Amino acid sequence: MPSSIIFTVPRVLIGACLLRIILLVYGGWQDANSAVKYTDIDYMVFTDASRYVANGESPYARDTYRYTPLLAWMLVPTAWQLPPPWSAVSFAFGKILFASADVLAGWFVLQLLRRVYRMSTIKALKYVSAVWLWNPMVANISTRGSSEGLLGVFVAALLWATLTKRPITAGAILGLAVHFKIYPFIYGASILWWWDAQRDGKPAANSDADLFTRAMEFVTHSRVRLTLSALATFVALNGVMYLQYGMPFLQHTFFHHLTRIDHRHNFSPYATLLYLTSTGAAGFQFESLAFLPQLILSVVALPLALAKKNLATAMLAQTFAFVTFNKYFLWYLILLPLYLPTSSLMRKPTLGISAAVLWVLGQALWLWQGFNLEFLGLSSFVPGLFLASLVFFSINIWILGMIVHDAGFNGDPIALAKKVHWEN
Amino acid sequence: MKRRITLLQPLGAPFEPHQAVLSSSNFAIRDLHAARHDRITLGLDDLPEELSNVVESSHELHLRWATEEPFDAIAPFSSRVSPGLHVHYTPLVSGKSSDALCSVLRTVFGADEGDRDGVGCTSPEKSFTTHPLRSTRFATSASLHYYTRLPSLQSLVGFIRRTVCHQRQGGAKCHYLADTLLTADVVDVDYDSTSHTLSISGFWSSSPTGGWVEDIGKPTADDEVEIGLLGVEPGGEPDLLKAGGLLGKIGEDKKLTPVMFDFPSRHYPLAETATYSISFSQPTGLHPEMSISIPHSALQQPPALKDSTCALHTYLTLPSSVFIDQYQVGTEDPLFLQEHNLVAVRAFSGETDLEAPDWAVDRWGSTWLVELATPSVDNSYPASNWTSTIPMHLRYLNPSESGYRSAAVPWPVVFWACSIEEESQIGKTPFDRTNLGYDKLFGPRTIFYQLHPASQHLVEELDVPVLKLKDGEGLFQARNIELGTSVVIVLGFLWIIWRLARVVWATGLGANEVKRPEVHEKKE
Repeated sequence: MPSSIIFTVPRVLIGACLLRIILLVYGGWQDANSAVKYTDIDYMVFTDASRYVANGESPYARDTYRYTPLLAWMLVPTAWQLPPPWSAVSFAFGKILFASADVLAGWFVLQLLRRVYRMSTIKALKYVSAVWLWNPMVANISTRGSSEGLLGVFVAALLWATLTKRPITAGAILGLAVHFKIYPFIYGASILWWWDAQRDGKPAANSDADLFTRAMEFVTHSRVRLTLSALATFVALNGVMYLQYGMPFLQHTFFHHLTRIDHRHNFSPYATLLYLTSTGAAGFQFESLAFLPQLILSVVALPLALAKKNLATAMLAQTFAFVTFNKYFLWYLILLPLYLPTSSLMRKPTLGISAAVLWVLGQALWLWQGFNLEFLGLSSFVPGLFLASLVFFSINIWILGMIVHDAGFNGDPIALAKKVHWEN
Repeated sequence: MKRRITLLQPLGAPFEPHQAVLSSSNFAIRDLHAARHDRITLGLDDLPEELSNVVESSHELHLRWATEEPFDAIAPFSSRVSPGLHVHYTPLVSGKSSDALCSVLRTVFGADEGDRDGVGCTSPEKSFTTHPLRSTRFATSASLHYYTRLPSLQSLVGFIRRTVCHQRQGGAKCHYLADTLLTADVVDVDYDSTSHTLSISGFWSSSPTGGWVEDIGKPTADDEVEIGLLGVEPGGEPDLLKAGGLLGKIGEDKKLTPVMFDFPSRHYPLAETATYSISFSQPTGLHPEMSISIPHSALQQPPALKDSTCALHTYLTLPSSVFIDQYQVGTEDPLFLQEHNLVAVRAFSGETDLEAPDWAVDRWGSTWLVELATPSVDNSYPASNWTSTIPMHLRYLNPSESGYRSAAVPWPVVFWACSIEEESQIGKTPFDRTNLGYDKLFGPRTIFYQLHPASQHLVEELDVPVLKLKDGEGLFQARNIELGTSVVIVLGFLWIIWRLARVVWATGLGANEVKRPEVHEKKE
């Protein structure tokens, strides 16, 4: 079978690395030869901030740097003044880092599929390479210098540390990820709920026990370790950054996202409404309530109902819910290989293809209206963008409903893997 | 009160002695075709109280206004600013600006109301901008800057009629003098705390139809009126202007005295063919790109002094609705700069936020000094235009009924700046003009050669798409947008809660019994 020749772990990983190296070299070439740059604007923000940091200044001296100083520190080699051709390598240092994080994230998911889900290596490799490792879009984003790739490795590593029962490591990764991008805190809820005593091999709780005993049983070693480790990492990182950079750090890394005045929220169902309210034309201040549905779903309802049934899919649903009410779709991509193999989308091809087509159409509709606005100067806010964002939202909700159903009724692949393992 | 009237004719233009006659009590002008510069210097006592209070709290106050119509800026009044009202203000006590300044500006020049353009500032602290954020050249004073579009000086004329004319009982003559401002091409107001005087000057590039007809009487005891009838041309030396004509003082001199003198100038006009024009590539969308086109024939370096270095610049005055991304245009990437025919952003100041919508921005806007590239000699096509482009972006503006709003971008000024090595007398002339915004971004020994804007209107109006909103009308009115969004969001939320409820109903909150997914069952 030819697929068994291609799909070996080293070959898939080498292929993923090659794809990224080609894109890095091509990007360097395009940057040097065209006024239209391959490199992402955000990467210029990071590297500018790194230059400030290298000079002993604050990274927040750079406008629109809205990240932890850790990112600027990590990219300090980009500020080194080296003679060519080494200058090209030092400039690309951050991209190399992000692209490596991509590959590492893929490797973590691969390990989970093979070792924890006990999926055959070939099948695992097919899913991981199709969705992530060989996905040109994923490679493109990290090699253009977007830091989103780092989030992928944080989430994959967090899930890996959790499913392989490493509470301290999982906590540390969680603390770091939240420090980096806030939103991964939603995973804390599902992981804590998932990690009951049975996961650590203890007997099931006595259902006759009184409330106090059951509450005490909730406080397991693993949960305490994970929580303390996460808090310690988060507090330590923020403490160091605060001592170093003071209020600007808090303002730009955290508060900005709560008080942003920029209303160019791409794909968000709230965009038109926020435009209205911020100009004072709406009767009610919706901003104060807008985050409620997504928080209730992502932090409470989805973890509670789904985490114990299928942790990875619960996390996917949380991310999908978060994204549906916001925008960054890339965040859930890393979790897809863990969900797709047993999903309704794969089991029922018509459904899967319809979902994919609708999802693409929803975005195309929005992008078309966005293009009319941004480049043709047409007033397409209403009905165009307004309806397009609501249609895209509805499509996403429909898909999320399917993920919820699958997570609830499809059986936990981990438990299944164990059973198959015992039977053999 | 002192007044100086300068009438400018090209050297050798037809002139009959009876067209301008000075007698012991009177100066009479008849049908004289000439450009005119009129400057009145007042003591603070001569001002209405509301003005003198504000003026006295200033260390320096300089107002520069230019018309939106094209005009010939002839020597020695060759300097230009973008059309509109520019205010340069330095508080007496650094950091303590007077809030009354804005209310006075609104009273004098008219407030920004509805469709009318006018002064919209609330306080210098909020609306004014400070010295350059980044200047690769010279540090500037601590002055504050404000700009607004102002197509007409109607308000100013009304204010002068109501206050100064009324107070001095100037009557019809005062009203006439005030009304002449309506046809002025340039108006300057200057105050500095060392001289304690306020001067107002106007420049008319041409006379009214039929020429100037005026009788100017002998001033009262403390006052003084100077007359000059001059022709000014570039002199023999490249840094000098040559003037010839007649001078006199009303009431003091019996007749006009002929004069001939050379003097240095800060600003020089270029040949009439040295023009530039501004356009935006269509459609502008939310990312308009400004083109500055200059005929190749006009791109020769000015005939400056030896050892001087010259560079072509543009100075942009952008209202807050339009902005330049300092990181995009301020780049050092040679490919980007080549594609846009730019050399570098030399300085910028003001509102440079890259994300904020217009309603969240208090300050009036921003200014940009950009050095433009010029073609290399062997690469020129004399017939065509040389074009530099500057990418810009639009902020979100308030909703409107039509779904569009207009953003008015005044034409930038374009000039050669030549720095000269040797000592010069620049600035030591009675016609010197400073505080133009860009002049202080260069060294003191810099000479400016101005290109002429070629258009019938020096303001570009951009159509900005905004949220289309009619009060209580149509399907997509504010209430329906609120309602529609809320209903869709709540329904979506409830749908997911319903799906979750079904899961919990069937299997509880705990882990499921191990059950094989269908895909595995098929294999068995």
